Amino acid sequence: MRRTESGWMIRAVDIRIRNEIAELATVRDLLDKIGDELHVPAEALIRLQGALDEIVSNAIRYSSPDHSSGEILVRIMVRPGSVALEIVDDGIAFDPTGVPAPPPAARRPGPGGIGIHLVRHLVDSFDYQRIDGRNHTVLITNCAVGAAPESTGRNEQE
Amino acid sequence: MAGNSTLSMNEIRDSGVCIVALTGRVDSTNADDVRQRLTSLLAAEEKSIVVDLAGVPYLTSLGFRALLIFAREAERKATSVALCGMNGHVRDLFEMAGLLAMFTVHASRQDAIAKATAGE
Repeated sequence: MRRTESGWMIRAVDIRIRNEIAELATVRDLLDKIGDELHVPAEALIRLQGALDEIVSNAIRYSSPDHSSGEILVRIMVRPGSVALEIVDDGIAFDPTGVPAPPPAARRPGPGGIGIHLVRHLVDSFDYQRIDGRNHTVLITNCAVGAAPESTGRNEQE
Repeated sequence: MAGNSTLSMNEIRDSGVCIVALTGRVDSTNADDVRQRLTSLLAAEEKSIVVDLAGVPYLTSLGFRALLIFAREAERKATSVALCGMNGHVRDLFEMAGLLAMFTVHASRQDAIAKATAGE
């Protein structure tokens, strides 16, 4: 463990992936592995996985549509009271936190456009900054890391 | 763990209803496979399809998109489509997305089959 400004960092891991959808599985599996090892509550992990998928897939599809940008960095930071994900890409500037909520389903022009809307509901904190030509999106879910595994009796898939 | 890394899709037929049981998360890496598999059932002239989500820990927006495209295509072909078996989080996601009212939803596979065979 090392001390950081915002609390004890239990673990911080960086992973770099190519700008391709199939690469998402690598980040997803790493987050699962870390979540398992550090006893991140299952519900928090599921919420983070959903939000991670939306932000990374958005970056892959839109920030560099011709896949000219090489990499996306995902930093996973686990603290006793939270798990944070920072997603960094060097594509077109895009602030996902500024995307308006979609209209009601019956009035939507197509079947898409709800990803960012879901992110707002899935995480406790959702922030964006453009730093040195890169998009930095930070997602944080507050949860008790390292507690005994939950036994809620709910229909959770392991 | 947040769910199975891989997604499996199994088809079962019961009382003239085609049940597609999804097991694993439906995310950006496999949503297109789900859409293709479900749409292929329409080409096979299935008349009643139930998608059982009991084994799905979560869906992402591309998963919802796949289900919506499939449902719209099914409507054009006069094929009835229902969803069943949503866990609490998946149901919450449908609500967050504002999509719960866009689908026929049943609590269990048994309910879905009973309603489908009764023509509801």
